[in-house]
Formats: sequence, C-alpha cells, structure tokens
Amino acid sequence: MTDISTRVPRAVSSPPGRRRRNGGRPRAGTIAAFLTPFFLPFLLFYVAPVGYALWQSLRVVRRTGGQWGTSYTTFGGFEQYAQVFQNAEFWASIGRIGLFGMVQVPVMLFIALIMALLLDTPLLRLKAFFRITAFMPYAVPGVIAAIMWSYLYSPQLSPVIDLFESFGWQPDFLGPGAVLWSAANVSTWLWTGYNMLIMYAALQAIPQELYEAAKLDGAGQWTIAWRVKVPIIAPAIVLTTVFSIIGTLQLYAEPAVLRQISSNISSTFTPNMLAYAVASGNNYQQAAAISVVIAVITFVLSFGFMRLTSKKAGL
Amino acid sequence: MSTTVTRTRLAAAAALSLALLAGCSSSADSDPASAGSCTPAKGKVTLQYWNTVPGMDKVVALWNKNNPDIRVQMKNISNDQYGTLGNALKAGKAPDLAQVGYDQLPSLRTQNAFVDASACSAATAAKSRFVPWTWSQTSFDGTGVFAFPQDTGPMALYIRSDIFKKYGLPIPKTWDEYAAAAKKLHKANPDVSMTFFDPNNAEWFNGLLWQNSAEMYSYSGDKWHVTVESDRSKQVAEYWQKLISDKLVRTDLAHGSTQMYAAYQKNQVASYVGASWGYSMFRDNLPQQAGKWSIVPMPTWGANGASGDWGGSTVAFMKGSRHLYESVKFNTWLNTDPKALALENKLGGLYPAANAGLRLPALSQGVAYYNNEKIFDVFASSSKKINTKFAWGPTQKTVNLALQDAMAKAAAGDGSLTDALSTAQAAALKSMKDQAIPATAGK
Repeated sequence: MTDISTRVPRAVSSPPGRRRRNGGRPRAGTIAAFLTPFFLPFLLFYVAPVGYALWQSLRVVRRTGGQWGTSYTTFGGFEQYAQVFQNAEFWASIGRIGLFGMVQVPVMLFIALIMALLLDTPLLRLKAFFRITAFMPYAVPGVIAAIMWSYLYSPQLSPVIDLFESFGWQPDFLGPGAVLWSAANVSTWLWTGYNMLIMYAALQAIPQELYEAAKLDGAGQWTIAWRVKVPIIAPAIVLTTVFSIIGTLQLYAEPAVLRQISSNISSTFTPNMLAYAVASGNNYQQAAAISVVIAVITFVLSFGFMRLTSKKAGL
Repeated sequence: MSTTVTRTRLAAAAALSLALLAGCSSSADSDPASAGSCTPAKGKVTLQYWNTVPGMDKVVALWNKNNPDIRVQMKNISNDQYGTLGNALKAGKAPDLAQVGYDQLPSLRTQNAFVDASACSAATAAKSRFVPWTWSQTSFDGTGVFAFPQDTGPMALYIRSDIFKKYGLPIPKTWDEYAAAAKKLHKANPDVSMTFFDPNNAEWFNGLLWQNSAEMYSYSGDKWHVTVESDRSKQVAEYWQKLISDKLVRTDLAHGSTQMYAAYQKNQVASYVGASWGYSMFRDNLPQQAGKWSIVPMPTWGANGASGDWGGSTVAFMKGSRHLYESVKFNTWLNTDPKALALENKLGGLYPAANAGLRLPALSQGVAYYNNEKIFDVFASSSKKINTKFAWGPTQKTVNLALQDAMAKAAAGDGSLTDALSTAQAAALKSMKDQAIPATAGK
C-alpha cells in the first residue's frame, strides 16, 4: 500500500518523456499491487475450483471391508469421462438444450434487435419509458421469474388459461411437448431486455454523420436500419449470441423451478440439472466429469461461433 | 538460550501431537465399525445437536434448564439438511447428534457418518421404548445402535366424507374397493377424481411399496441385495398404472403445491393417500373444509392388513462425538420423555416414534377439523402394522430420482410404472457400483 501512495504522485508529476527513457517499466511491486485484487479472487474462486473439478474427475471410488466398509478415492484415468460419454441421459439433455438454443436464441435476439432499432429511431416518443420497461424483467431474479410464470402456466391458478378456456381452447403449457418451450419463454422474457440494451448501447455509439450521409444518398429509416445500423452493430450482436449460447448451456433455474409443478421436467432435463442430481447422490467424481465436459462444450461452441463470425462482424 | 530451547521443545511437541492426530484419524478411518466408548465425562459437557424441527429450540431449552452439566447447543439445518451434514462430515466437524430421515440412514452409514452407541447399555435398553419397525431401521436389524427414532409417518386414507356421501361411495377397505369407488365416481362425475398420483414423489410411492411388503433392499453377507423390482412392487405399480391409464386419478398435481390445494379447494379430488403429518396440511391450508374430512385406515392388500410409512426422522449418533454417554442420555430424553414429546408434537407437529408418545393427551383427543374424530387412533394402529423388515438402500436419493423420472414418463404415456421399477432397479445397481458398494440383484 505504501508503495502506491509514494510512487503514484511522482509518476504523475514526472514529464511524459521521462517514463519512456526509463523503459516505461513500473516496479514489480506496483504491478502486483494493482493485479492482486483481480488475480487473488480469480485464483481462489475460478482457477482453484476448476482445477479441483479436473482432479476429482480423474478419480474413482473404491471400498474395503464389505457394504459398511471404508471408501477411498484413487486415480481412475478417464473412467468418469467414459461414463459421461456412455450416459444416454447426458446426451438427451444436450440434445434438449441444443434444440432449445437453436430456437430460443435467434428468436430472443431478433426481438431484442427489433426493440433496439425501434428505440433508436427518431420517430419514437417516451424512449426512456420503453427502454426501462423492456429492461425491467432483467432486474427480476431468474428463480422469481420462473415462479411467477409457473403460476401463469398452471391450469389450477392461471388467469391466462381461464381466458383461453373461455374461447374454448385448453392449452397445456406443462405437457411433455410444451414444457421446454414454456421454459424458453421464461428465458426470453428475462433476457431480451438485457440483450436489447447491449445492442442499443452499440447503436448510440454510431456517429450521426453516417445517417446524414445515408439520407443524402436517399436512404429511408428502413434502409438505414438494415443497411447501416445492423452491419455496424454486428460485433454487439455476436457478443450477445455468445452470451446466449453460454447461458443456454448453463440453463438451470427456469426448468428447476418449473419442475416443482410439472413432472414432465426430469431431474436430468438440462446438463447442469444432471450434474446437480449426480452430485446430490454423492457421486462427486462423476458430477465433476460432467461439469468439465459441459465447460469444454461451452468453450468450443462460443469460441467456434466467434471465429466463424469474426471476419464478417469485423471483430 | 532458554527461549530457543522452549521453542524447539514446543515445535517437537506440536509435531508429535500432529503425528498422533494423523495416526488417530487414519486408524479411525480404517475401522469404521468401531463402537464408541461409553465413559461419562468428568465435569461439564457441551453437545451439538443439528435438526430441522420447528420449535426444537424450546425443547432444548427445557433440557438445558434441568441439566446444567450436559449443555446442548442446537442448530437448525432445514435449509440444506444433508448438504450441511455431508460437508461437516467431510471437514471432520460433524455434531454429536443430527436429525436423519429413515431413508437416508443407510446412505449416511455407508459414508461412515455414525458411531455405534451399543457400548452404552442405556442405548441398547431403549429398544423396548419404540414402535418395533422404527427400531429395526435405526439398529440396522439389531446389528448396532446408530440412531434413536424420533417421529414417523404412518399412512392412512384421508377422505372427503361429503363427496363420498354425495356419490354414494362406500369407505374402501381394500385397494380393489378403492379402485371400484374411483370408477364409480368417475362415471358419476368425470370432473371429480378419486385422488392424484404425483410421479415426482418417490418417497410416497416407496411408502406404498412398503405397505405391500415389497422389500426394496436387504443386506446379508458382505453385500446388498437389490429387489426394487419384485412381484410385490410390480403389483403396486400395475394397480396405479391401471388407475392412471383409465384416467381415474390425476397425474398433474405435485404434492404439497399450491396447485394441489387449489384442486382440493375446487372439490375436484375426493381423497388423499397420506401420512400422519398430513393432518395439519389440510387443517392449515383448507380451513373452509373443516368438518368435511375424515381419516380412515389405508386400503389393504388382501387380508394381512399391513400399513406403510411415509417420512419421519431419527436422531443419529454422529461419528466424532467425544461424549457418547451424554449423547445417549440426551437422545433418550429427547425421544421418549412425555414432556419432550408433547412439546415436539405441539411445536413441530412431530408424530412420535416412542410408545409413550402415542399415548400423549394431545394424541388421544378428537380433532375439531376432522369432525372431532380421534384421528390419531388410526395412525397409532397404522404404525403398529408397519413391516419391520423393510430396508432403505445406500443410494436412495439417486434411486428415488431415477424412479421419479421414469414414473413421470409413464404418467405422460411413455412406458409404464412397471418399467419405472426396472429403471429404478438398474439405477440402484449402477449407483452402488459407482460408489464401489458391493451389491447383487435379487435376494
């Protein structure tokens, strides 16, 4: 601490040229002081748990002395991973969220983009109001949102279903085929505003001169939106897509809450729910292996998508 | 000079005690079945007792007032009962006593969580004070004393007498009569169902299996015998599958959910297959239906008239406790003393496992909500008819989840409840293999 307080003013007061002559290298202590607040938690709460999970995933349980004997863990190579790859429930959960992601992510981002573009048009009034109301669902914790929606989906309690029934239609939002999309709807409701805000922020950064130039060339609002704005904010759209892919693979809260009222969501509905179910059965090594595989899939998919789109999006 | 010597000595002493500690813990690990020693402590003792019972602090305060030498400190762990216990065990910081459900006893014993209290004569002598089936669970069929029974959930049938009267339904004595009544009701009014089947409630279904003496596990020799799938369990599965297929019971209500109460509220369901602790659920959640409910014995499978249990807990002797003698003393009082039992029943709603508890004044009176019927007589006689040979498995949680997932599929028309039993049987064998627990299929 004393290092910083004595050195910082000197660095500030010294002429710009001097730093360069010194080689521009601050003392190691200063670097450490500035980096520790980041790296210490990063090591403790990120690197260490990941390392522990990796280590656990390579171990297997053995036991001596019959059914009431003592258990211990030993190195088991890739035995846990072999089990993950042979686990039909695991692949079923991956398939389920794959389907979820392929439908929910494009739908959500399309709605977010439309809303961001609408907010950005000069024609819209009450911008602040619409911006805040669209963003508001994001302020609701995921679990609370899911509980709220579960009331709307529930045939015993939902005013929405009562309304549909008065038109002679009895929707079953919690049925075996529908419940995945009911969960997708909760995610969409929660995250559209957030994604919209990222895109809207990117739109705000576009210099007005571009629009003027486009107008001089005869472009209307529609053309400006699709030909000028969307290509320019493409990096932001890629970013929201990557966030959404990660979010989809980690899907837990919404289906876990809906599970309380619908038996059509199994304990292995999403990969994260499967990992949790396995861990609650004391099989921590298998749960660790599942987590590592989910992490690798997430990494490959999000970086794969970034590389695929980086040239087009100008990243 | 002298300080250096002292320091060296201290360091040596520290190293030695560390080595001793390490030696102790490793020898303890390799000898899990070791019975604790039962010598009374000299001087005052403090016990740690973790539980999930509402109002238990008042019970503990009563003990502390009268027993200044054995002070009990309690902690409520209802947020995450088994997670908290599991973590404490891993860290070697388990309490002296902890609340453990009957169905989790084998799983925790497999993790070396308990100490055998049979070194204390007071512990083995407590056997006669409890309802027989509870003691066979906590003593693992008389092979030790790992816990004392606390409360139970003997099952019974809750019926809406007004609906039964309206449709002229007789009170069913057997499951066949129950199915016949369900059919009659459905014919008279398809909007009212006899009951609901919650596919996500394996604990409830296990109680039904227990009633039919479908023993899911047994342990003999050095290994487990897995019989989740048996003729008796299949009989129960086929019975409910038929009710589900004929649409005589609903499958869309989760037990204890707002939706379930709403369905009862709207008079859409005529009965409830439940346990003793359920009596306050209806009383507290559906006050408008006071006087409409009645509690009768569970329908039976033929003549033997056995009943089943759903839920209930024990107070287990946890490994690492240094005060076994005092733990036994407190545990005995906690679960057999009429004053303690009365308080636990009043504040925590516990239905006692002790014989003395079944005779509590509060459990001998009529209950206003149930037309002043003496409903606890029904539960007391149910408790005495529960099979003592039923055992839970060492990976019960995993098996319950697998059973639930498969039952949900069956309820949605994908497979049958009998298939669900096969799935659960396979899950039991696999999860035991994963934990290196020796097991075999069949008796």
